[in-house]
Amino acid sequence: MRRITKRFGATAALEAVDFDVRAGEVHALVGENGAGKSTLMNVLAGRFADYGGSITFAGKPVRMTCPRQARLLGIRVIHQDRSVIGNFTVAENIILGDEPAGRWTGRLNRKAIAAAARAVIDRIGFDLNCDEVVGGLGTARQTLVEIAAALHRNAKLLVFDEPTASLGSDDVERLFRVIRDLRRKGLGIVYISHRLAELPRIADRVTVLRDGRVAGTRPMKSFAIAQLSEMMLGRRLGEMFGARKNRPGEIVLQVRDLSGPGISRPVSFDLREGEIMGIAGLVGSGRTEIARALFGAVNAGGSVSMAGRTLPWRRPHLCRRAGIGMIPENRKSQGIISGRPLAENLNIAILERLSGRLGFLRRNTLLSSAASTAGRMCIQPPEPLANIDMFSGGNQQKAVLGRWLAANPSVLILDEPTQGIDVGTKNQIYGLIAELAESGCAVILISSEFIELARLCNRVLVLRAGRLKQQLSADGITAESLFEACLR
Amino acid sequence: MIGKKTPGTAFGERAGYARFQRLQKATIFVLLAVLCGYAAVQSPTFLSWTNIVDNLFTNASALAVIAVGMTLVMIGGGFDLSVASNTAVCSVVLVLVMDGLSYLGSVPAISVALASAAVVGTGLGAVNGFLVAYVGVNPFVVTLSTMLIFRGLALILTDGGQALQVADIGLRRQFSWFYDAQLAPFGAGHTVSLPIVIFIAVFVAAVYLLRYTRFGHYVYAVGGNEQAAWLAGVNTKRVKAATYTLCGFTCSVAAVIFLAMTATAQAESHAGKELEVIAAVIVGGTPLGGGSGSLFATLTGVLLLRVIDNLLTQFSVGTEYRNVITGLIIAVVVTADVIAKRRRS
Repeated sequence: MRRITKRFGATAALEAVDFDVRAGEVHALVGENGAGKSTLMNVLAGRFADYGGSITFAGKPVRMTCPRQARLLGIRVIHQDRSVIGNFTVAENIILGDEPAGRWTGRLNRKAIAAAARAVIDRIGFDLNCDEVVGGLGTARQTLVEIAAALHRNAKLLVFDEPTASLGSDDVERLFRVIRDLRRKGLGIVYISHRLAELPRIADRVTVLRDGRVAGTRPMKSFAIAQLSEMMLGRRLGEMFGARKNRPGEIVLQVRDLSGPGISRPVSFDLREGEIMGIAGLVGSGRTEIARALFGAVNAGGSVSMAGRTLPWRRPHLCRRAGIGMIPENRKSQGIISGRPLAENLNIAILERLSGRLGFLRRNTLLSSAASTAGRMCIQPPEPLANIDMFSGGNQQKAVLGRWLAANPSVLILDEPTQGIDVGTKNQIYGLIAELAESGCAVILISSEFIELARLCNRVLVLRAGRLKQQLSADGITAESLFEACLR
Repeated sequence: MIGKKTPGTAFGERAGYARFQRLQKATIFVLLAVLCGYAAVQSPTFLSWTNIVDNLFTNASALAVIAVGMTLVMIGGGFDLSVASNTAVCSVVLVLVMDGLSYLGSVPAISVALASAAVVGTGLGAVNGFLVAYVGVNPFVVTLSTMLIFRGLALILTDGGQALQVADIGLRRQFSWFYDAQLAPFGAGHTVSLPIVIFIAVFVAAVYLLRYTRFGHYVYAVGGNEQAAWLAGVNTKRVKAATYTLCGFTCSVAAVIFLAMTATAQAESHAGKELEVIAAVIVGGTPLGGGSGSLFATLTGVLLLRVIDNLLTQFSVGTEYRNVITGLIIAVVVTADVIAKRRRS
């Protein structure tokens, strides 16, 4: 793959990336969340037809247009997001897309499907029952089904996108054995993982991606893990920031035994006025789940008290009234109100304050309120009536943040507030968060970027597998210590 | 699905859900049986061959044929509001073509008319399929608009809604054969009408398609998880478009049965039947999102609605109560489905 470029709207996810895999090697691809690993592999899998650059496969230049083409070439990707069909059995999922069928009648050969699936499962020795319906399996075993599906036809190039994220150690061992076996047979393998510790055991070469660019490609042997993490985080490690000026005051939020989907063990913590508390952990560790449970976006257990008063019910609209705000993880689907003007996006959380006694809204009030928020957030261009979709990702994010700042919350939860936005806007957002804390608002900051946490937080909770594992405070918070705590 | 589903004993909650699901599937059969039993006690004629086969099955066969097509579409995750309008267009085409070709004699005129109706019905279905699958417009919007367009087309073809009589062409007796013809495989007293035979043929073909072919397998896959099917290299667009096309074909078959029954083609006929068909499919247990469902369940759904109708007729209950009762049944069945899903997640 040469000079691969891929843009989503105004943001470049990949910028002139070079990447190659040899037959019979395992090439690891690492980088922070949002560095472009999955995007690069999605280009290879034919998931995006609109990429720049060129791909050469087995000596021939190819232009990837659809998944089917990639499949026919012998490229198989085990995607990070589980792509199995819940109503189908294990065997049907493994063979999906390659069903043997009569030429003229189109009649499915179910015996052949079952036999082919069993052959794959036996070959890799996974603990799977062909006839079981996949929807009833746990996530770990669904991953096994996906891996089996990718192996079923003799692929030439296999991509594993975080295959071990949800596997137990037994299955990881089995998977490694399978991968080594495949390497011996001359397949090219791309291995994406956050668990850097497992790389020396499996990888021959490593490529580090950072912000959509290649930070370096080298043989695995020449790396120490510490070096790798440094490379992933980049020089930004060095750029230190001004000292934290916020002073935590009285306890404003008490969370006791918070439980809910994705939280394996109930979580309790306190939050003080003007404090910035970080939550660190890998994707799937329960970070977002805690935010959603706290904000009442899911059915959750446990109690939450604001300034000593327990909230009897937790639902987003009640939490908003109690003075809690949340900026959700996914800006596009959960943050902005797509297709509507900037002004509506900025005012949505404060309409009660802006409306008259009978609920009537006055255009001038709305526009002036929006204009003042836009000005405070430095949203470019500051045009309240422009459609939110016309703004860049960074400005959209500022709009979502502005929406809550306008509501003057006493607690603000930020879930990945700087994902997919450029460095300049990131710094502006950091400034706003710091300012917010100085003015007494308590902030919960969830982030995959350890530097961000290290820069801003007074305290960081570290989560692993839905459990609170560790608490780091003030001076103990560095990108490296967080990295270690999350990955251990 | 391959083989027997293993009982989910290893997964506690799952086993509960499976039981619930089986219960839900059984509910509709039990409901049907109870209603039939009640009807049989109340009215001795209910279980007679004439009532069951002639009244119930024959009357239900046209809608049941469309329900087969609708089940394909809905398992694939879509749905089709334009079926009744499509059927009306096909009826009109049948009469117009027969009228134009009647000088050739009855057999050629009717054969060409049947072929034209099939082409038109299938073609209109393909238009839906193209717009939904390839252009990517929401199925509700697509089929709502084609519902109006097809209806308008039928009005234009009949000069603003004139009733076209098969009798006027002089083929009344010949065409009505499709409705009147009786087979007597079970002896002279137990005849089976041709519409039932036509329905059985369509049903068997569709069951084969869904259960035993790669295409049918992909229909379930697309309805179950379109993204996963696409990533697995399935041509999901073609599969979706094909379900709408086949549904259009079933409309043309239904048009033949309807026309043979009434001997009149009217642009405004069958209005509202699309909802009855969708209701039957949903009551049968095919979820609106697709991914599961079966033709046998749909058939049960059709029969259930018919038996209720039959019963209400026997007790001379007014139309207004019929609607309420039918609506209640749909609401109860769908609510049970929603609760079951919530319990699973």
